[in-house]
Order: sequence, then C-alpha cells, then structure tokens
Amino acid sequence: MTHSLKIVFSNYSYVVLASVIFITMLFGLLVLSEYIFLEPYIIGHISPGMELGFTLIVILTTLSAVVIPMNIYRINILKKSKRKVTGSVFGSFVGSIAGVCSCGPIGFTVFSTFGSVGATGLAFLTNYELPIRIAAIALLAVAYFTTVKSLKIECKII
Amino acid sequence: MVKKGLLFGIIISIIVVGVILVYFTSSVETANTDVRLHGTISTTMGSPIIGSPSAPITIVEFGDYQCHQCYNWFHNTKPSIFQNYVDIGKVNLVFVDLAFLGRDSPKAAQASYCAEDQGKYWEYHNQLYISQESKIDNGWANSERLKSFAFSLGLDSELFDSCLDSGKYAKRVQTNIAEAKKFGVSGTPTFFIIGPNGQQEKLVGAQPFSVFTQVLDSMI
Repeated sequence: MTHSLKIVFSNYSYVVLASVIFITMLFGLLVLSEYIFLEPYIIGHISPGMELGFTLIVILTTLSAVVIPMNIYRINILKKSKRKVTGSVFGSFVGSIAGVCSCGPIGFTVFSTFGSVGATGLAFLTNYELPIRIAAIALLAVAYFTTVKSLKIECKII
Repeated sequence: MVKKGLLFGIIISIIVVGVILVYFTSSVETANTDVRLHGTISTTMGSPIIGSPSAPITIVEFGDYQCHQCYNWFHNTKPSIFQNYVDIGKVNLVFVDLAFLGRDSPKAAQASYCAEDQGKYWEYHNQLYISQESKIDNGWANSERLKSFAFSLGLDSELFDSCLDSGKYAKRVQTNIAEAKKFGVSGTPTFFIIGPNGQQEKLVGAQPFSVFTQVLDSMI
C-alpha cells in the first residue's frame, strides 16, 4: 500500500496535483457549507452539531486528493483505462455537492435558476447530506484500494 | 328608445359604483399600509420589530423556517445578540421571509403572520425554530403541525385555522421573497445590519457572535 503511494508521489507533479485538489476542494466545501466565512471578515467557525459534517468533508477531501492523482498516474504512466478515474472523480463530485446547495450561500440562487426542480433537488441534497457524503467516501475508499491493488500488479509487471 | 336609455343608465350607474368602490377600497388599503424602511430595505411586509423601536441599529434577517443554518443561528448566535444588544436597547431585529426551501416553507411563513393577527408573532416564530426537524418537508411544518403549534401557544384555533387555510398572507410572503431577490440575497440566513447613519453591512450565513459584535460595535 505504502509502496504504491511512494511510486505515485515520488513524482513531484503528482504531489502538486494532490495539494491543489486538497486545498481547492477543502476551501470550496468549507465556504459553501458555512464553516468558513469570507465577508466581512475571514473567519472559521464550527457550530455545535456540525462537527460530523466537518469531519466528513476533511475525509472526503483527503481521499479525493490521494485517489484522483493515483488514477491519473495510472492513465499517464501505465496507459490504463480511464474507468477508475471516472469513478473517483464521480465520488468526489457526489460528496462535494451533498449539502452544500441547501440553505447555504448559493441556495436561493439555485432555486431561482432551476425553479421547483431546483427546490426538490435542494431538499434532497439537504435531507441526505450525511448519507451521501458517507456513500461518496465509501466509493472513494473502494477506488483507493482497487487502485493500490492494480498499481501493485501493474508496476510489478513493468 | 326608452329601454335603451334605461339600459345605458344602468350600465353607467354600475361603472360609477364600481369606480367608487375601487377608489374606496384602495384608499382603505393605502391608509392601512405604513411603509417601513430600514436603510433601503422595505420591511413593511416583514415581521413586527423586536427590541426597542428607537434602537440605533436594526438587524434585518432574511430566513426560512426549514433552513438548518437559520436554526443554527437562532440557537447559537441569536441568544448572545439579544443578551448583549437587543435587550439593552442598542439593536432591534426584523425577520423577513425568504421561504423557498420546500413546499412547507411558505405555509410556515404565512402561519407566523396568522399568529401576528393574535399578537403572538415572535412566540410563534420561536416555536417554529424550536420545533424544526432535520429533514425538509418531512411533515414537521405541514398545515396540521402549524395549527397544533398555534394551539399549544394558546391562540384562538378557529381564527388561526381559517387564516392559514384561506392563504390570507400568501401574497405577503411572496412580497418578502421579492424583496430578498431585489437585494441580491442568495441564501439563508442573510443579514443586513443597518446603522444609525444608514450604513448597511451584509452578512451571509449563520456567522458567529464575534462577527456580529465587530460589526455592531463599529456602528455604535
């Protein structure tokens, strides 16, 4: 497991990619989920009862930052199929949209743009925010283990 | 000829009576509608003011009764603001509905105005935020529950139920949503803090008390 990580992240460009994914995704999700406020002052705040949501965002972001570069490595270096990277990007995307569109800073904009369909979507994402994030984390974890396994095999062959 | 004249006379009379009625009705509405402005925001259709009406600073909150972040603000930040600013006459607060999160949201907002008819707007408002459940439109704010909240607050059930069922305040809630749109509100809760000199600061989200303190203290 560590060996696969070492192989991928020994290449500096993948470390940069992972950092960019981690920072961008974490910052974006924390802003949209109202853990970070930018105006009028930049401030971080976790309201009581929102600790689990915060933890899930950190896990989701960390997994995305590890799994996506590993799969890009598989495609670039080993010229393997794009199926796994699609799965990991999908997992990251699903986990990201969960909950962030509810009554947060862009909720009413989504509602205004998409009308009743938007409202139904918002309600669904809000109601199932935590289960969706957990499912996305599970998807990314599966993607991580299968990628590690396939890298082990493919790298041995190479 | 006489019949034609009679018919013409009747039509003219109906038109005249109609015009008088329309004029009278609109005069009555105009007479009852006091325009209430906080900064540039019209809060005429919003909640009654809570806190001292002569307080130098007003917080205008745009919120939804099914919004979790509004719930968080209500339970975590609002008590400190009341204790440190509202209760001592420095700040007052007005709530304006941005009821969009689900089909029960507009009905809940209307219910709050039905409670206002009986002088219990803020008690009902508080009851809604105390009773909020985590899932939107799961029935916690359906008509039956809204009526039961009114009953538990000791409101006249018959009056309240007929007010809610008639949709008496549907237009009022829509007007408030339009006001939110006009001021570029993109989510709930959004706050406009209006200072004594008309200065206006916008806070988006359930921001902590420390942020409100900084803004409010800079205006006092």
